[in-house]
Amino acid sequence: MLLLPMDLYSKDINNNIIVGANIGNVPWEFQDSDGSYIGFEIDLVNKVGEQLKRKIKIINIPFNGLFAAVQSGRVDLAISSINITEKRLESVSFTQPYYDSDQSLTVLNNSKIKNLYDLKGMIVAVDTGSTGDIWATENNEKYEFGEIRRYEGLVPAMLDLVIGRVAGYISDIPALLYYTKDKPNLEVVERMPTGGLYSMMLRKNNSLLFEVNDVLIEMKRSGELNELHKKWFGKFAAKNSSTIKILDIPKSSGKLNLNLTETFLNKRVFLETYPMLINGFYITIQLGLLSILLGLIWGLLLSLIRLYSNAFLRFLVKTYINVFRSIPLLVFLIIVFYAFPFVGIRFSPFNAALFSLVIVSGAYFAEIFRSGIEAIPKGQFEAAKALGLSPYHTMVDIILPQAIKIVIPPLTNNCINVLKDTALASIVALPDLLKQATQAQAIAANPTPLIVSAFIYLIFLLPMILWVSRIEKRYRSGKQL
Amino acid sequence: MSVLINLKNVSKHYGNFCAVKRINLNIVEGEVLCIIGPSGSGKSTLIRCINYLEEYDGKGKITVNGITVKKGNNLKNIRKEVAMVFQNFNLFPHLNILKNVMLGPIRSLKVSQSNAKKRAYDLLGKVGIKDQADKFPFQLSGGQQQRVAIARALAMKPKVILFDEPTSSLDPEMVSEVLDVIKDLAGTGVTMVIVTHEMSFARQVADKIIFMDEGVIVEEGSPDQIFDDSKKERTRIFLKSVLKA
Ligand SMILES: Nc1ncnc2c1ncn2[C@@H]1O[C@H](COP(=O)(O)OP(=O)(O)OP(=O)(O)O)[C@@H](O)[C@H]1O
Ligand SMILES: [Mg+2]
Repeated sequence: MLLLPMDLYSKDINNNIIVGANIGNVPWEFQDSDGSYIGFEIDLVNKVGEQLKRKIKIINIPFNGLFAAVQSGRVDLAISSINITEKRLESVSFTQPYYDSDQSLTVLNNSKIKNLYDLKGMIVAVDTGSTGDIWATENNEKYEFGEIRRYEGLVPAMLDLVIGRVAGYISDIPALLYYTKDKPNLEVVERMPTGGLYSMMLRKNNSLLFEVNDVLIEMKRSGELNELHKKWFGKFAAKNSSTIKILDIPKSSGKLNLNLTETFLNKRVFLETYPMLINGFYITIQLGLLSILLGLIWGLLLSLIRLYSNAFLRFLVKTYINVFRSIPLLVFLIIVFYAFPFVGIRFSPFNAALFSLVIVSGAYFAEIFRSGIEAIPKGQFEAAKALGLSPYHTMVDIILPQAIKIVIPPLTNNCINVLKDTALASIVALPDLLKQATQAQAIAANPTPLIVSAFIYLIFLLPMILWVSRIEKRYRSGKQL
Repeated sequence: MSVLINLKNVSKHYGNFCAVKRINLNIVEGEVLCIIGPSGSGKSTLIRCINYLEEYDGKGKITVNGITVKKGNNLKNIRKEVAMVFQNFNLFPHLNILKNVMLGPIRSLKVSQSNAKKRAYDLLGKVGIKDQADKFPFQLSGGQQQRVAIARALAMKPKVILFDEPTSSLDPEMVSEVLDVIKDLAGTGVTMVIVTHEMSFARQVADKIIFMDEGVIVEEGSPDQIFDDSKKERTRIFLKSVLKA
């Protein structure tokens, strides 16, 4: 049986402790004005390094990447106000906790929403795979949220809250209190006692666990941890909170050591999460096919304008094509979703993704169609004209059937690109395949859903890729289709 | 016999270069007119002006059956009357032979599918390739392809057919099968304007021959007049050089 190579990456030659942290998670780990990392948990790991006489090296990893990073050994230790949960304990280890947290609801100050029940039928924001996500999902029936929309962190969620695209944002209370304290338009209106406990996450059975835990015991005993609490929250922690009390290392349920297949293709995790992945796949397919269909139509239209209209329109289209072939899709998508609302254009996540994909892929499709049309000999146009065919029928009956046949390989390649690019829609909180996989892997603290989603993409796209290369080969050998 | 096509003062410039210069010409209904002349003399340009594949200079005027050939709505009526056969056939490679012949009548003459099909089979029979109807152009020899192109032109029931060197792309052994088809047409009353380098064919089939050089009509007359009794030095030099070859 394959065993996971122990600490393959983290055996730093300088014996550093490599720490993964989701920088930007106030007040736990974020950047000050000079760009250096500060925060409660940054202070904490620096103290750990000091005590263990090892240097701390911090790597910025998005929250959802921390679980895989720990399990693959890319980092020794992960911080980012990570809650200890039963599910996560099946796949990773935690030190004893050092902070008691609850979930909370933030809304706009001037909104009608004052508590969770007001959110009935409304859209509520959470961080993908976070404790808030888990809480909202579990309590969805009780409060009848209209939709749970999943964001990649606090900043985009807050943006949409301010725009009014979501009615409330559920996340850990310390972060929300810290973020809203100098923003009078936002208000934390509810605290949901979930008994969350923050801790440092390590790979199962990592010997560092006990060393780090010992430092925590020492810091609690000396009151140093409570001093950190004072420094970052302005007051000391409650008497019997985990910031003060010395606690046991949380017991891992399940096996002590997971081997490679149990880590990356865990059957239990797979069975638990595949319905989510199927839902995500359904959205990916819908978005992908619709984008391709509309992108093809739009691209064809652009190519015809580019070839046959007056100089002014030709110039406009040429500019359009150049602009949208230079802008990264992700950048455009973010502009469409987060900036357009300020000029009154408000898309749903699906429509924002669809719009962006069509606008950008249309530029590529247009150039492909143009090259195909330009490859048709002049004699074909003349023969059609001589038969009295209208410009429309010349195109539809004569030119396009031939032109499209020539450009089938690049068209298909572009379609594959569009299908792959649908994954970018995760960024605007669309529950597509990638998003669902990320969420599932964060909840289970196991990368299996990501691996499975990779397989789904593969099964779906590989036949198309093989098909294209077969056609290309035929074209090269000069055979007819 | 009435004049079907009239060219008055027709010129064609490409930038500063003048390919066709102040041509005046009448083509009579039912006439077979052959245009001969050295390469680059403007033969193709001239006949392409007749169905407006080339936009001739504004000072001139061409009429076909009384309708002026110019940009606009009447152009499609001109093109119903004027069919063309190209040097490179220009068949539609994605359509089979039958559909190549059917397309023009269906789209331009609004003929029904079934009538167009019937007529296409008739015409393919006439040019001797009925059994190839379901094949695609690339499956046919050059001579067969050009015969399809002629059937395609005939399908429009045109008043006039323009031929631009219909045999110049053919292997020598296929030239005669195409010329034979054209000769057969000469008896049917359809007007034909044929640009050709096949002198004996021209002599045999033409009612009238035009010799062009450097964009002008140098001489016109009956075949016997041009070939045996030319008035112009340039015509004689040209004929001598091609007939010797
Ligand atoms: N699109 C064009 N742009 C510029 N010059 C052109 C164009 N088409 C033709 N010409 C020029 O016009 C002149 C007449 O050309 P044309 O094709 O009518 O000659 P031709 O008599 O048909 O010759 P050939 O026997 O070689 O077919 C030539 O000098 C040619 O180079
Ligand atoms: Mg020519």
